[in-house]
Amino acid sequence: MEGTMQTQPPSDPGGQGSDGRVDSKSRYDWKDITEEFMSSASALQMGELLHDTNFGLFEAMSAIEMMDPKMDAGMMCNQIQRKVLTFDSALESGAIKIKDLSIPELIGIMDTSLACLVTWLEGHSLAQTVFTNLFLHNPYMIDDKCLKAFSILMLKLVDHIRDRVNRAGVFEEEDFQSLTYGFKMAADVTDARATGMMKEVEDDLNRIIKMTRSKVGEERDAQTEQEHEITNALFSRVKFFRLFLMGLLSFSKEKCEGIPQAQKLICQLLELLPIIRDTICMGIQPDNKEVGKNDYPTIMGFEPLVNQRLLPPTFPRYTVIRSREEALGHIEGLLYRLQIVTTVPELTTFHIIMEAFQEFSKSSPCVLSRSILQLTLLPVNKRVFGVHTMVDFLKDTIRNFIAPPVLSQKSALYNNSQAKQYVDAWFVQVVRPFTALVQITGHNRARQRDKWAHILEDLSALQEEADKVDACLHQMLTKMEPNRQHIACLGNWVLYHTLQAMISYLLAGFELELYATYEYHYVYWYLYEMLYSWLINTLHRADNFLLENETMAGEK
Amino acid sequence: MAGEVVEKKDTDKDASEGKKKLSSWLNKSMKVKMTDGRTLIGVFLCTDRERNVILGGCEEYLKPLEGNEKEEPRILGLAMIPGHHIVSISIDKSQLQDSEFQ
Repeated sequence: MEGTMQTQPPSDPGGQGSDGRVDSKSRYDWKDITEEFMSSASALQMGELLHDTNFGLFEAMSAIEMMDPKMDAGMMCNQIQRKVLTFDSALESGAIKIKDLSIPELIGIMDTSLACLVTWLEGHSLAQTVFTNLFLHNPYMIDDKCLKAFSILMLKLVDHIRDRVNRAGVFEEEDFQSLTYGFKMAADVTDARATGMMKEVEDDLNRIIKMTRSKVGEERDAQTEQEHEITNALFSRVKFFRLFLMGLLSFSKEKCEGIPQAQKLICQLLELLPIIRDTICMGIQPDNKEVGKNDYPTIMGFEPLVNQRLLPPTFPRYTVIRSREEALGHIEGLLYRLQIVTTVPELTTFHIIMEAFQEFSKSSPCVLSRSILQLTLLPVNKRVFGVHTMVDFLKDTIRNFIAPPVLSQKSALYNNSQAKQYVDAWFVQVVRPFTALVQITGHNRARQRDKWAHILEDLSALQEEADKVDACLHQMLTKMEPNRQHIACLGNWVLYHTLQAMISYLLAGFELELYATYEYHYVYWYLYEMLYSWLINTLHRADNFLLENETMAGEK
Repeated sequence: MAGEVVEKKDTDKDASEGKKKLSSWLNKSMKVKMTDGRTLIGVFLCTDRERNVILGGCEEYLKPLEGNEKEEPRILGLAMIPGHHIVSISIDKSQLQDSEFQ
């Protein structure tokens, strides 16, 4: 863990030349052909291209044009004039310190790091946000206990968030950029060790706070009081970040076992926020330099352009880092949303879950809370809340909805092996589209409409299968129990969800402002006359079926 | 009469020689120096009469490469250099096989 571990992507100098120089171009043997080339090119006709058979205009179209300021980010006019610092060059020149940092410096660094984290969560690249913090490039070299612990924790935090959002898979390129550009994320430090390091710093700071606390009967002098305030400000931050990582980790515990702990931690985090907000001013602030192309004023340790060469070659992209106050506002919103997520394991049926998830989506939540919501319901092992199989869960839901005889223990059909075969085979087909239904609600609002449209195909295929199975089961059932029916039980249930998807599709069109005003009444009519009335019919049929079953069960 | 035919054949011959040379350089590594001092190295894929050059898998070096220093290039991918911004062009000799142009 000690030592000069380089966190930046390794350079690739190419092979060693025969003369032993580590020359990037030693693997080539250059011959100047400028004159020949120029004269040979005159042999071409106007507009004629010389190329290989595998390469043509279609491929040529996607080439970036050099020396065009809009496309060539590396052009001199797009480059800034001052020297860009790396961790090593900044350390050498004294632009950054790795020991004896003052508390205002630490506070400033932490607040700015949080602002960078929030900017990343809003969809920008790590290279232009979190990794503009030079201390994260080489955290093991830092001597200052607090800064070292904080830097390592930051890397673990980013790594964990990346993992969660990637696994949930409910983001698009505008929501989130997970590319890490080869940066090392302190993988050899365990989560426990990282939080342990922060706890040690917390304990040290706590001692100072206790010493400088106002005691009964004693007057504190101004200096002690100041020391108390500023140490408390730092302490609150160290504790906040430690609990924040712990909170996110507790969501990923198996079978939702970490949810109660998450609830406690979120409460504690919300209590710490006001102190942090009130003490932002105590951190070092950036100078009032002028803002240039991607070059904004910042504090020690942050270099906006340090990762420019890692960015893909496109038009020049500039990222504006959120202010420290705005970042805290975003985090507060995130914590409230995560509180809602902790109530999800209490939901019982698929229908209730769909309603809850749709409701959650209406507030346009951030990509992290959406991802954690999805993973709480369907973690990596694909079991609902980590416990029930999707099939069992859906069987329960259908039982609640319409009590099909094939799924109720009292019916003879339940134990019939042929019937079981049909039904189980059908349920295997059900899992994918219904998992997709939940995932659609996890995407950002603008992307959902398209996905509703796509799922209708899968649902209609499922409906056909359901009708076939229903018909078979009905035949079988009437032979065994002449009074009971199995007409369209499963089909009715699928229809219910298909109608919901169609309604969501139409309503999303309003939100996205896709309809012209004169088209509104077409949509209203279709919803009223068709979709909602069919939906109500479906629910009535289901209710009636449930009633019939109850009466029959009562008669038996 | 005879003279005319010979001339025509000559210009044709020149034209096809030029094209042959250019074709022999296709898909080889090429180094292009631009007017602003940057050097690009990539696979030569396409050109035209205006000497616009397209390089594939292109790397950009900010400083000229003759020194001992290793510089880390920026990876550009597919890049087109307008002919009027080209100062010099070099080809990788080691990739040319049985070439009369070596």
